Amino acid sequence: MSEQKDKSEAVVRQDAFLDQWASAAGIEFPDAGKKADYQERAGLVADAIKISPEIKRVPIMPLTTFAPTMLKGISGRQAMYDPDAAGQAYLDFCNTYMPDTAGSAPMLMYGPALDTLEYQLYKWPGNGVAEHLSYQFHEKDYMGPDEYDHLITDPTDFWLRSWMPRTHAALAPLADAEPVYGSMELPMLGPWLISLGTPQAQGALKALMEAGKQCFDWINVLGGYLGQIMAAGYPFGAGSATKAPLDVISDSFRGTTQLMLDLYRRPDKVLEATDRLVRPMIETGVRGARANGNPLVFIPLHKGADGFLSNDQFEKFYWPTLKAVMYGLAEAGCVPACFVEGGYNQRLEYLADTSDIRCMYLFDRTDMSRAREVLGGKVCIAGGFSVSHILTGTPDQVRHETKKLIDAAAGDKGYILSVGCALDEAKHETMKAFVEAGKEYGRY
Amino acid sequence: MTELNDLFTAVADMQEDTAMELTRKYLDKGVPAVEVFECYQSALEEIGRRFEQQIYFIPELIMSGEMMKASAEILKPYLADQAKDDAEGQKKLGRILIATVEGDIHDIGKNIVSMLMDLNGLEVKDIGVDVPADKIIAEARAFGADVIGLSGLLTLAFDPMKAVVEKLAEQGLRDQIKVLIGGGQMDERVCEYVGADAFVTDAVHGVNYVKGWLGESVQS
Repeated sequence: MSEQKDKSEAVVRQDAFLDQWASAAGIEFPDAGKKADYQERAGLVADAIKISPEIKRVPIMPLTTFAPTMLKGISGRQAMYDPDAAGQAYLDFCNTYMPDTAGSAPMLMYGPALDTLEYQLYKWPGNGVAEHLSYQFHEKDYMGPDEYDHLITDPTDFWLRSWMPRTHAALAPLADAEPVYGSMELPMLGPWLISLGTPQAQGALKALMEAGKQCFDWINVLGGYLGQIMAAGYPFGAGSATKAPLDVISDSFRGTTQLMLDLYRRPDKVLEATDRLVRPMIETGVRGARANGNPLVFIPLHKGADGFLSNDQFEKFYWPTLKAVMYGLAEAGCVPACFVEGGYNQRLEYLADTSDIRCMYLFDRTDMSRAREVLGGKVCIAGGFSVSHILTGTPDQVRHETKKLIDAAAGDKGYILSVGCALDEAKHETMKAFVEAGKEYGRY
Repeated sequence: MTELNDLFTAVADMQEDTAMELTRKYLDKGVPAVEVFECYQSALEEIGRRFEQQIYFIPELIMSGEMMKASAEILKPYLADQAKDDAEGQKKLGRILIATVEGDIHDIGKNIVSMLMDLNGLEVKDIGVDVPADKIIAEARAFGADVIGLSGLLTLAFDPMKAVVEKLAEQGLRDQIKVLIGGGQMDERVCEYVGADAFVTDAVHGVNYVKGWLGESVQS
């Protein structure tokens, strides 16, 4: 949707939030120049999202996980246990490569809190994978086939008393806690409190308090660097994150294999559960975005990719609730920024349905010429640069490929240059060539 | 076989409960277990065709694997030893050893590929995740692998994949064993960097490569 078209109320709210973000209000800068840099960079991203004809250049938004730390020779372990090292590396990454957005350093998370919780859902450096590597998802069926009704009836109760005790081993005793509902009346309050008083439950609650304290201390250290990153003129590429409801069930609860069987064995339950997760996923995205004053809500997409599901299955099980989450975010003034992992060559027409809100689709393996053909001028498109160029190519090849991609994808002015995956690693020369070429060839 | 059409349809159309009921019904009626087994084989071929035509995707692949497992349990007591040997030893096209390389613990893609290779008549040995290069090569040698399939979701898998290919060459095995790499970030540049024979980002193409290679070696 171009800026000229009639704006819906949602788009008016989205534009207001984008403008507020790009104004740099509330951020302290050392000088006016840095403030202007911030405004220019955030302004480019906002213009690309609005598909503004006034945009001056293609913005550059590299997604990073461990690349900033690995480029400095910092192990994955240290990145997750030493917020000073992680924060400094993220700041240095911005000052070295000068992209238009900074990566979300807090997404590295804090290892000591995971240790305290005996976290099971991922393995991380020094805990299941080698210290020099990155964290990795440890997928299993953490929810049984007969637990859909619990999830549907009461997601929070399912989360706290069924799923977390399995995925956060230190919280396992919470599985024996009574539901909270007795607290509605004094005479019925006892059982819940008593169940929290057992030595096991007390141990779990202490672990939870400890992990909370650890993360609070961690963000107080890391937060200093996040402030420095913004003060240096770099807006963050995301204000918060949420997920597509089917991905929540597939990735974190049932596991891919079991979920795929559920599509045949209990399709109605899957549909009910995905519906039930729409509001919580909107709420998760909106709260974080508002807290950070940044409208971009990052949504990594997984099981909707080509090859996983047929278009019919995508249309039935995946898209309606993802779309509902996206529209819910937009209603609240946030901008859904979908990180479209894998290929979406068979699905592009669906994405065109969201042309009446501001949103961004950052592609991984999708053919960017076709993405532009179907989506150009309707929604903001992004990404498409293969990480293999960064890791195995030469700076000259990277420059050449960057130009080729911009030529293919940027013509409608609603394009953001990005590597198609979140970078666990990078190479200095090619990373530099990528950003420089983006600035050179991306001028409109 | 013709009277088993409804079983064929149930399996090919992913009607799991009906397929299991019909399997029991036919065996109770005295239909030879080998015929029931052959019906499943034909249905699998049809499922493979629907895969090729992009009518079926991952849910159907996993479901057909489940139905094959469940039916094998039902059929086992009915199959005479000879027939069992026939069924189990049926037309294995060749051997593929599959692993997720060192440093990477992802297994969903690898498991799907293993399943599809098995359903397509290959003898598959899946040695798990985070497997060091030396172990992959030792296992491939012991297994007599025609192909090594290396899986990795992370970019950090590129170097461990390259290490496998280099070590195969050092040990003089590179000409005898094809190497296929698979995962979300594989492309022609990674394939060249690793020195693999081919890369894939989905299971069906992987099976096609392997069948093509083994077809060539049978002809030669």
